[in-house]
Amino acid sequence: MKKKSKGMFGKYSEKKDGVIRSYDVHSKKVKALILVIMLICMVFVVVSVFPALWVFLAGFKNIKEFRTQVSIVPTHFDFSVFKDTWVKLDFAKYYFHSFIVVAGSVVCAVMFNGLLAYGLAILKPRGHKIVFGLVMWSLLIPPTTSIVALVVNINKIGLNNSYLPICMAYGANAFYVVLFKQFFEKMQKELLEAARLDGCGVIQVFTKIILPLSRPIIMVVVIFAMTASWSDFLLPYLVLNNSGKETVMVKLYQYQAARTTDVDMIRAILFSIIPPTVLFCIFQKQITDGAAAGAVKG
Amino acid sequence: MEIKKKKFFRKKDIIGWLIMLPAIILFAFYVWEPLLNSVRLSLYETKGFDLVKFVGLDNYRAVLRNPNFMAAFQNTFKYIFVSLIIGFLVPIVMAILISETVHFKGLFRIGVYFPNMIPGMATVIIWTYFFSPGAVGVLNIILSKFGVDPMVWLNNSAWTIPLIIITMTWKGAGATALIYMAAISGISPDLYEAATIDGAGIWKRIRYISIPNIFSLGKTLLILQVISVFQILYEPLVMTGGGPNNASISIMQLVYNYAFRDFHFSEAAALSVMVCMILVVLSGLYMYMTKEKQDD
Repeated sequence: MKKKSKGMFGKYSEKKDGVIRSYDVHSKKVKALILVIMLICMVFVVVSVFPALWVFLAGFKNIKEFRTQVSIVPTHFDFSVFKDTWVKLDFAKYYFHSFIVVAGSVVCAVMFNGLLAYGLAILKPRGHKIVFGLVMWSLLIPPTTSIVALVVNINKIGLNNSYLPICMAYGANAFYVVLFKQFFEKMQKELLEAARLDGCGVIQVFTKIILPLSRPIIMVVVIFAMTASWSDFLLPYLVLNNSGKETVMVKLYQYQAARTTDVDMIRAILFSIIPPTVLFCIFQKQITDGAAAGAVKG
Repeated sequence: MEIKKKKFFRKKDIIGWLIMLPAIILFAFYVWEPLLNSVRLSLYETKGFDLVKFVGLDNYRAVLRNPNFMAAFQNTFKYIFVSLIIGFLVPIVMAILISETVHFKGLFRIGVYFPNMIPGMATVIIWTYFFSPGAVGVLNIILSKFGVDPMVWLNNSAWTIPLIIITMTWKGAGATALIYMAAISGISPDLYEAATIDGAGIWKRIRYISIPNIFSLGKTLLILQVISVFQILYEPLVMTGGGPNNASISIMQLVYNYAFRDFHFSEAAALSVMVCMILVVLSGLYMYMTKEKQDD
């Protein structure tokens, strides 16, 4: 048996995929290549993370420093400036508005799409295929193309300046329907039959059997809906602008348009990216796995 | 007996439909009705939210004659062209390289995906600061460390579209790279080992094994990318306002301007309908290709 290369290259013997195989690693040229690849990947990560880091660092600067100092790192770190901006811009209020929208959107996303998928995957009433066909078509037509007619409708029925049309929009998401449907179809039919024989009604089967078993897919939809509704701008802006109910994203755009002082603007951006960053830190595995697996089908 | 059975089925059908009904109503309100209603809106003269008079295709003619339309139409091709060079290749390179690492692989995956978590509105405002002209613009600060003079970035009309695409790529590339990585890790190592026995070096293995294996996925993602480029809105809206001199105005921004700046809903609807028709063709192509992939 040959001696295994030691140190950092030793781990390459466990490499299961990719072009470079463990037997390549013996040559010096390949070792150099591996180092170069690692370096480039680190550059990717730095470029990906740096803008968020810059927001954090620039937030410490005062306005004079921001406009004159040619440097990335601030001269002093005083966290009280963030608190000042938070109070000055009344950000707690907009956080609260956004949290209402996120909570409502998550509930709608799980409830409505889940029930529709229950009908399509398990109950299958006569003619359900027509509905599924229509849902699949809506997956392919981007929502932005019908936003004009939608906003006209919302105004006509008097739902402008309300959170309702924004949250309910998440109840009509073809991608979530497909995710739920695929999951429900893999469930054991015997279990559902047994529950029905025990006298469970159609609704009880859903709430007592299907929902508890669907926790993984519900988690995925909840996380997707949370990030999407927190980041959502166009519909909330068109419905809530100047209503006193603006969400964080709507407010960001207003600050930008009103040329709010740069340092306050930057701190506001920081506030707006904290919740999704925290969410990402907690659920990074679910999110990256879900993105890799779900996006193609979507 | 027979009648009873039929009745039972009917009841089951009704319950099934009742359960699906709430979501069906929402789909009708948010997706299907607006789509049909845009067509109707586009054929009428509107005053505020009300239809006034049937005018046939006049709104379409008005939109096509608008000088901004030609600018937006040409820009769309520029956007697509640049995004094919930058936005399409970066995730592929990223995926191939990250797939080759064994140390910090998890960190690399999470790191490149992170920009996707930053809300779109925050992303474009951050990058506006990065591209800010003058000595204190973030990229100019970085360049000054290398002794490069400050640049004007977005104010140079030739750079606007590439810089907007760079912003979009920064946000989206990592997420797309993860999809490619899933495909790359699915390639059987036997293929590479067989190629090595035949004398193929690392570059040849990438060229003749990795690339062909992610080719059909690439085609699919390419069409999805073109569809998303048609919908560019935040970037020109916030970063450039469509300027300088219409150099970055996008079709969706034109729709936005018609509807929510000038309140000409009928013209906005006419333009939406035209965009929608293009997207339906592209989506059809996408469906055809994914179907082909499944048949393989």
